[in-house]
Order: sequence, then C-alpha cells, then structure tokens
Amino acid sequence: MRNILLALCCCGYAVTLQAQYPGYKPVADINIFKTQFAAAAQKMQTIKADFVQEKNLSLLSEKITSKGKFLFKKDNLVRMEYTTPFQYLVIINNNNVFVKDGQKENRISTKSNKLFQQINRMMVDCVQGTALANTDFTVAVFESAQAYLIELSPVAKGMKDYFKNIHVILSKKDYTVNKLEMYEQSGDNTLISFLNKEMNVSIADALFTIK
Amino acid sequence: MSVLRMHYLLLSSCLFFLPGCSSVYRGMKKTDADASCLLKFKPAVRKVLYNTTVDVVGKHLSGLLLIKAMPDSSTRLVFSNEMGFKYFDFEFSAAGVFKVHYILPQMDKKAVLTTLRKDFELLLMQHLDTKNAFLLKKDGLFYYGFPQTKGNNYYITDSTCRQLIRLERASRRKPVVMAVMQHYADGTPDTIGISHANFNFTIGLKKLKQ
Repeated sequence: MRNILLALCCCGYAVTLQAQYPGYKPVADINIFKTQFAAAAQKMQTIKADFVQEKNLSLLSEKITSKGKFLFKKDNLVRMEYTTPFQYLVIINNNNVFVKDGQKENRISTKSNKLFQQINRMMVDCVQGTALANTDFTVAVFESAQAYLIELSPVAKGMKDYFKNIHVILSKKDYTVNKLEMYEQSGDNTLISFLNKEMNVSIADALFTIK
Repeated sequence: MSVLRMHYLLLSSCLFFLPGCSSVYRGMKKTDADASCLLKFKPAVRKVLYNTTVDVVGKHLSGLLLIKAMPDSSTRLVFSNEMGFKYFDFEFSAAGVFKVHYILPQMDKKAVLTTLRKDFELLLMQHLDTKNAFLLKKDGLFYYGFPQTKGNNYYITDSTCRQLIRLERASRRKPVVMAVMQHYADGTPDTIGISHANFNFTIGLKKLKQ
C-alpha cells in the first residue's frame, strides 16, 4: 500500500513538473547534462549577440521593450549596451560593475552591494555555464526537443525576496543561452532574448575596461 | 539632456537667491482666481514612458518611469532601472488617494515616500480644488495657489495663462520644491525637472518614444 502511494506521489510530482513548463520534461540524467554543459562552456571563449529585453508589468498589462548589443568574454567579462529606446551601458568586470546613463558614469563595487553581487554572479554564471554550481540557487533542469530549461530558485536572502525564480533557456545545439527569464515575487518579469549569436569571435579587452 | 541640466541650474539658482527669513509671497496682491485655465497643463496621461535620472545627496540613479492611466481611472507610476529591476510602483486613485504597491526595501522610509508622493501630486496636478484656489500676482506672473495640508502648491503662469512657467510646492514662507513641465505633446510634457530646496535632490524626466 505504501509503495502504491509512493508511486502515485512520484507520478503526481512528475506530472506537476511537466505541467509547470509545457513542452519540457525533467532531464533523465542531470550528471550527463552537467558534463555536456561544462564541456561546451569550456570551448566557449567569447559570445557576441544582439539582445531584446522585455519588462512585463503584470498588473498594468504593460510591456517595456528595449534592445542592444551583448558581449561576453571569458572569464567574468560582460558588456550590455542598450541602444533603443534609450542609451545605457553596463559592464561587469569580475567584482566591479560600471554603468553609464546619458552623461553620468558610475562605478559600483559589488563587494559592497550584496544584491548586485548576486545578480552579477548569476548573469555571468548563466552565460559562461557555471550556473549549476552557484550556491545562491537550487537548480532543476528540464528539456524539450530543442532546448534545456535551467530553473534557478533563489535561496539567498535579497535574491529570494525579489525573485521567485530565474530560467535560463539553453540551445540544445551548442548550449548557449537563448533566453534569460527573471520572474519576480510581484508577478512581474524581465525576459532577455539573445539573437544573432556569434561564438568565439575576437573581442577586444578594452570593451570591458572600467574607467 | 542638456536642457534638463539647464533647468536644474535655473531652478537651483532661483532657490539659492530666495530670501532667508521673509516670505517670498509677502506683498503679492491676492485676488480670487479662475483656476480653470490651468486644466490644459494637467498631464493627460494615457501611457507615457520617461527616461529618468535622480540625484539625491550625492547618489545617482537612473531608469525608466512608466505612468499609465488604468481602466478604473487610477494612475500608476512604476520606476525601474534600465535592466528591469523595480524601485517603486505607486498608485493615485481616481479620488487622489495614494497607495504604494511596491517600494525597494532600502527606499521604504516615511520621509522618502512622503517626498515622492508630494512631488508627484504637484506634477500630476492632483487635488486642484478650484473652489479654494487663490491668485497672487507679481512681476507680471500669476501664481495660482492651492492650499495643501501644509503650505500651498503654486502653478505659475504668464499673465494670459498661456504658458506654465514653473510649479512650486511651498511652505507659508518660501518654495521647498520647484519644477518645470515643458514642451507638451499628446497631452503630456516632454521634459520635466524637479529641484528641492532643503536638500540636494533633483529629478529629471525626458519622454521616450517607444
């Protein structure tokens, strides 16, 4: 009887997981996924892409769309340059973040700002393939025919207060990030899609220099 | 954005040269006002997005302010940074009642909320009770005054009420906040600048075309 109940519970859990993300099911063997993801990330030195960001304000039924250029270089170098409909530049260089809006330039030390440090690390981890080892989150991995979905559920305070969970959608073809989905506790979300990706092209270090 | 900076300088210098003790409104001729001419300056918001900069006591913030009229006739103001992280989400009901839907814990202080509420009330021209309005005249400018719980809000126009020169939130003696709303298009100003007299706090808004 106990075994039947256990089996029913397991089935129910599996159905719940599948229903949670239509088209996705939990990966059969997470260790195989981890090995393949790590191997692909190992070969990845740079990524150059366009991005489209959508901020969805659920209660207002409103969407704010912005676009720009994304650059990543191993290790820990990220540059996001928003070009439409506003100008904004953010550079993540290891533990430092540099932002420029209009004429103002601002250097933020992530060491002194815990939430920024967590967001910074999450972004870099997602792109360079080390998200599975980030202890700020519990991790679950799902797959569809074309993509993997890494579900990151925050455990660290700060992140947990703000984010319900974060999804990283990876291409099954090359394990690069197609989309980053950040779901807030409030019901709002921010979705960043990466398009026209070019891998391992030459990118100058100067583009990540923080003044 | 240089236009905004010029507004800051203009507003800051206005505040700097205000007399320290006597009321700046003293001696102005007070008459009954027909404040209905101001209604054309009241932002007719359906949905508008502003590129926003905030400088407060040496700290700089930037982001996007979305102002939207809701189906229940309330107005929502949501300020988030460029990457989508929300600072606050406020509501003014149709009756002008202020509600906080969300504010970043670091900003969740009574003084901050009161300041922001009053600033947005001034800009959105809430509580324009024309029955209690009064008019002061000085140097060819018309000061349309609206009594508030403490002090008055002033909307200052030229003598023909065709141009909104500036807005002031004032104590009985002097302005504590000065603001400009300029270059109206589709019912909302293209450029807004706010400057506080009592502490170093300025807000600049520039309308974005989506």
